[in-house]
Amino acid sequence: MTLKGQIKEFDASRNRPPEVMAIIRRGIDYTRESGAAGLSVGERAPDFTLPNQRGEMVSLRDRLSRGPVVLSFYRGVW
Amino acid sequence: MAISPELPDHTLTMAEKHAIPIDILSDATSEVMKKYRLWFTVPAEVKALYLEKFGLNLEKYNGAGRWELPVPANYVLDRGGIVRAGEADPDYTVRMEPSDVVTALRNIAGGT
Repeated sequence: MTLKGQIKEFDASRNRPPEVMAIIRRGIDYTRESGAAGLSVGERAPDFTLPNQRGEMVSLRDRLSRGPVVLSFYRGVW
Repeated sequence: MAISPELPDHTLTMAEKHAIPIDILSDATSEVMKKYRLWFTVPAEVKALYLEKFGLNLEKYNGAGRWELPVPANYVLDRGGIVRAGEADPDYTVRMEPSDVVTALRNIAGGT
């Protein structure tokens, strides 16, 4: 099964009440309307330097010098 | 590389941190999320839902006052830093297929 399919199945299994789903839906619409659409294919990814889990400063530029990079933005561990 | 707004995780031991083969990066000032046009502030009614119904206080993870998140997103970058494939969707249940990530990496490796 695709990841999208697995997530849909999991999300449905939580059986959230309609009033909760309505709040979540409005939140998603709000974010979409805010224009947070991310980068487009063909665009150059902005460089950055951030600390990793060991407290080392890591730059995108440095990692790209070693090869292609998969960049994943996630909301958190919760 | 993985990026979240969370402060560095203090729950892992040093050995565990060294065992993770990818960079888990902390965007504690939201600067990178903003640069990538993924940043948003959690609307008031969603914040109330998280706090009251889900028992989820984002400040515990992100730091005081930081009710802000990235739109979940994945990008495959070639060596020149150009986005060759990617997806970002405010609907957090819609994520890029891992197989599409692999295909994009193969295309880069194959020079297409």
